[in-house]
Amino acid sequence: MRQGLTRYIIRRGLQSLFLVWIATLIGFTIYQLAPGGPLQFLDDDPKRTAADFERLSALYGLNRPILIQYLAWLTGEDWFAMLPGGAVWQSGQCRANPERCGRGILRLDFGRSFYFKGSNVIDLIAERIPATFLLGFSSLVISVVVGIPSGIYAALNRGKLPDHIIRVTTVLVNTVPEWWIGLLLLIILGGYLRLVPLGGMETIGDGSLPDRLHHLALPAVVSAISGWISISRIMRFEMLEVLNQDYVRTARAKGLPEHLVIWRHVLRNAILPFVTGLSGIFLLFLSGSILFELVFSWPGMGRLAVIAINSRDYPVMMGLFVISSFLGIMGVLMVDILYSLVDPRVKYEL
Amino acid sequence: MRRKESPRADAATAVSVSIPRFRKTKEQTYWQAVLAKLLRDKLTLAAIFGLVVMVILSVAAGWISEQVLGFDPTTTNLTKRNAPPTWAAVAWPIFQEFTQTCQAGGVTTCRWSLWKAIVSTSLTGLRDCLAAPRGTCHWMGTDQAGRDVLSRALYGGRISMRIGLYVASISMTLGVVLGLISGYYAATVIDDIINAIIQTLGSIPLLFLLIILSRIFQPGPEGLSFLIGIFGWMGVSRLIRGQIFSIREREYILASHAIGASIWRILFRHILPNVSSIVIVVGVFNVAGAIIAEAGLSYLGVGIGPPLPSWGNMMQGSLGNFTDAPWLVLAPGLFIFLTTLSIYLIGDGLRDALDPWVR
Repeated sequence: MRQGLTRYIIRRGLQSLFLVWIATLIGFTIYQLAPGGPLQFLDDDPKRTAADFERLSALYGLNRPILIQYLAWLTGEDWFAMLPGGAVWQSGQCRANPERCGRGILRLDFGRSFYFKGSNVIDLIAERIPATFLLGFSSLVISVVVGIPSGIYAALNRGKLPDHIIRVTTVLVNTVPEWWIGLLLLIILGGYLRLVPLGGMETIGDGSLPDRLHHLALPAVVSAISGWISISRIMRFEMLEVLNQDYVRTARAKGLPEHLVIWRHVLRNAILPFVTGLSGIFLLFLSGSILFELVFSWPGMGRLAVIAINSRDYPVMMGLFVISSFLGIMGVLMVDILYSLVDPRVKYEL
Repeated sequence: MRRKESPRADAATAVSVSIPRFRKTKEQTYWQAVLAKLLRDKLTLAAIFGLVVMVILSVAAGWISEQVLGFDPTTTNLTKRNAPPTWAAVAWPIFQEFTQTCQAGGVTTCRWSLWKAIVSTSLTGLRDCLAAPRGTCHWMGTDQAGRDVLSRALYGGRISMRIGLYVASISMTLGVVLGLISGYYAATVIDDIINAIIQTLGSIPLLFLLIILSRIFQPGPEGLSFLIGIFGWMGVSRLIRGQIFSIREREYILASHAIGASIWRILFRHILPNVSSIVIVVGVFNVAGAIIAEAGLSYLGVGIGPPLPSWGNMMQGSLGNFTDAPWLVLAPGLFIFLTTLSIYLIGDGLRDALDPWVR
């Protein structure tokens, strides 16, 4: 019946793969763009010599053509040896010890961190993904649970006090950084009243569920604010659109009670476009996590990003960028597919 | 294939008929009408006043901090680190005592009676501060290096507002030009390329990219604005593109084509004026967004670097001790809030004033 759907999903999937590839290109370029190149940190050492520079370049394979470096980063360099004459393209450390050959980001090898000496980047990131997901998912749930009813409520009371209150809140929240609201609440609720902990995900030595929820409450609520605002705006707008439709007038004219009009005819149609709004909100959580995690000392990817950036830990930065881009692109793809599944009217054109 | 003309577009044609009548009776151009409408709007006027005050405060930051406050924003004083506002010097320990009573057993054990002392000592302190000679009263306390927070906040306004303006002009220029082009060449390769760029930028975590780039290049205010600007044009471009869909099929565009007008002339002389009101409103909101973005980047420590004060990097100093020195968080935040609130309200008022349909 809906043969267009499969084609649409395949096409969107391919498009997303292309986007992921672009993201790897951007990630790799950033590394090369750094003034002084990846060995920039050598400048901090007063005893460095030109020989040091050359030795490290050869060791890490930075003296190879850029395309080969990209290929090695993407697919690994262990298989270069299998090509005739390919061993020349391996980095010094790989030739000296096959154990230390990069296996490429396609096989989830993002190299080793500079700052966390010797740790694999992927392990560092994998350790922190659950925390970021927990925070992101809780704030998504909160923003949906609060945002949809408040948007509906505002639309049904258009121009009255509740609508105005929600609109004023929207403006006020838009005019200050959300993380600043978080910081203020943390000072008052955490610092002065000790109602919530000052940071972290759990009390050390106590990982019980109530303790975790206690730590999660404030960060989740604060990072849900922006999502809540945009969801309730979308809902309000869509509700008002649908309320003006002819079939709503018909439903009212035939004497249907108002609550049935709202439930059966308005809500069902108004809730669909809200799904499209989700992809933007998903990205918001992924990006915003950096600031919220810094404010609330939340041990997720955002905190790792701040550490990596402050210590110029390029492998970690690149790994985080590629993985969070991947997650973002996949999130948008999932929302798009979900939308095409729930809305029969969607056109399978791009 | 082509979109049918929307009811809005029909209505817009209708207004072009009614405008001459409007002119005859009132002898007003469109912009005069907009101005008149703005002047009737009390809230927008108040917001304009607020913004003007903020701009004057930061433009005159040098004079104010030297002649009125008596502090240099870069002079450190290590004997006075994280000192509370001078007028609250007595009240602050009492407030801390109050919070300690609260911590003892949840909110129930708070000794609210302490607030009497807090308020009365603050009032005396304020009176003393007003009478005190120049250079002895820190109105908003001092930061982790003993610098006066208020004078830094005034100077910080220069950076933050400058960045807001730069970012808005960069992202608006990019957004308008690319939006015009992709709207005019809709459903061609050029449009596809621009859409692909928008989609790419729309699906990667931009804040993260921005942080990495500003860490690597460590730009000054101009460079930072450039970085924020080149990642902020997508929304504008999409908006303009959508508008142009309805405009480009009008008769007057066809007419200019017929007399051989160049594409650039059509885009900038005939189409752009029709979307100018949207451009202005979005541009105003962009300024506010950029100020907030800069604050976030500087708070992370990758925006404006230390010797220059900006509202964001002032808060960065509070990272370790924000409960002991909440003024480090409050003061810059308050400045951000007042500035962006004014800008938002102005944008809101402009949107109503520029729209001929709102009475």
